[in-house]
Amino acid sequence: MLAHLMKYKELMYFLVHKELRIRYRNSLFGFFWTLLEPLGLMVIYTVVFGYLVNLNKGLPEGAYPLYVLAGLIPWTFFNNSVRKGTKALSGNASLIKKVYFPREIFPLTMLISNLVNFIPAFALVLVMAMVMNQPIHGDQLALLPGMILLQAFFTLGVALLVSVLNVYYRDVEFIVNLLMRAWMYLCPIIYPMSRLYSRDTDPVVQQLADLYWLNPMAVIISLYHGIFFPEQGVPAHPAVPGLWIIYTILVTIILFFAAWYLFRKMNRRVGEVI
Amino acid sequence: MEAIVVDKLTKHFRRAYDKTLKGFFISLVKGEKRYKEFTALNNVSFKVNKGESYAIIGKNGAGKSTLFKVLSGIIHPDSGSVKINGKVAPLIELGAGLSRDLTGAENIRLNCAIFGLDRKRIEEVYPKIVEFSELEEFIHTPVKFYSSGMKARLGFSIAIHIDADIILIDEVLAVGDKDFKKKCYAKMEEIRDSGKTLVIVSHSLKPLRKICDRALILERGQVVDIGEINEMIDKYQDEKKTNNKKKKGA
Repeated sequence: MLAHLMKYKELMYFLVHKELRIRYRNSLFGFFWTLLEPLGLMVIYTVVFGYLVNLNKGLPEGAYPLYVLAGLIPWTFFNNSVRKGTKALSGNASLIKKVYFPREIFPLTMLISNLVNFIPAFALVLVMAMVMNQPIHGDQLALLPGMILLQAFFTLGVALLVSVLNVYYRDVEFIVNLLMRAWMYLCPIIYPMSRLYSRDTDPVVQQLADLYWLNPMAVIISLYHGIFFPEQGVPAHPAVPGLWIIYTILVTIILFFAAWYLFRKMNRRVGEVI
Repeated sequence: MEAIVVDKLTKHFRRAYDKTLKGFFISLVKGEKRYKEFTALNNVSFKVNKGESYAIIGKNGAGKSTLFKVLSGIIHPDSGSVKINGKVAPLIELGAGLSRDLTGAENIRLNCAIFGLDRKRIEEVYPKIVEFSELEEFIHTPVKFYSSGMKARLGFSIAIHIDADIILIDEVLAVGDKDFKKKCYAKMEEIRDSGKTLVIVSHSLKPLRKICDRALILERGQVVDIGEINEMIDKYQDEKKTNNKKKKGA
């Protein structure tokens, strides 16, 4: 199924290039906004959540900014791909109504252009860890390509689904915006996940803490955290080692194929209703 | 050999399609039909031979554009089959597939890429497209500033240069000045003579006589007749006249 998309690699290249150029057109710093935006958010979150609300308990002294950034940058990749992906089809109505080509290309190019932004942004996290003298754990770092691949497939699954649903019901756009906000707070970004298990947390939360890992994005973001803070990585499960990682991989595979199938099915009437 | 085989093609459209979830759930709970059906194409069958020029004639709302969209793959039929041998270049309407915010040059590259040309081939045809469209001066201007005639010129120039075997042309030539129209018709004849297949929908019937070999008359989604071009145009015009007389009489 990816083979017939290869025929359109020139088109994908063009669309990714266009997307990147349009995003930073008329901006003074251009590409650097990819780095400046999460850095700005990092400062805001550090001041608000690190100092004012004291969410930094359980992290090494002064490591909160790095923790926020290491989670925020993968989240931004997911968030932007899904939000832009929602409008990937409906925003290209003029093209879709007039010529036929595989429409999966739209959410796919959205993902690729965000991936192109994500990789240098994550390199920034590594640079920052070195500047802050935080240890980088090589064994986890070696798994980074796998993490990115896992996240990319998960993101593409979600983006395929919302892009085609939004053609039928424009409500999806609003629902997605709201859900993404909730989703962000259900991921370990502004608070360390170890807080869920710490003794001074509400006992109900402690009991149900394992359910937190049913959220695949929580697992994926914790994988990234594991590179810098091994104790904040995905927790080991006593019965099945690596349970949550295996679970996330399975969910990703199922989601991806289900989304692909639904996309194909709903695609049949996209030309009429868009 | 046939370039296009259409067999018992039927397409219904759903009218009063409510685009909000609320409306959808309300009618779902009430158990009422969520849409009215409208038959745009009803049991349409025809064949176009390779190298032939084929005209589709019909009034507004006869289903010509729907038929074109089905042929180019934008709309899926409800029943029946469409077989196409070769690559199709659709020119559905004025400036089909042009992105408003991109420049003419970018649009040429985008459209060539959409039709699967590789980079080398794009660089080869690019100057030809620019030359044929006569838009050298404005090629780096965004398409939104183009006049409708300029868009038509660009669209037509792209469509004939993307190595398609079958070219679908829908009303595009209603605009553009006389000279460019002439040039287009000459080019269409040249394309036909080079063995490619042309399918044309047009309101101006006169030039069709010169270009096309056969024609199909479509009325309210159904095929009225298929036959030699001059015969069909005469028949279509006769019917129109008698219909008009009936109206006047009534």
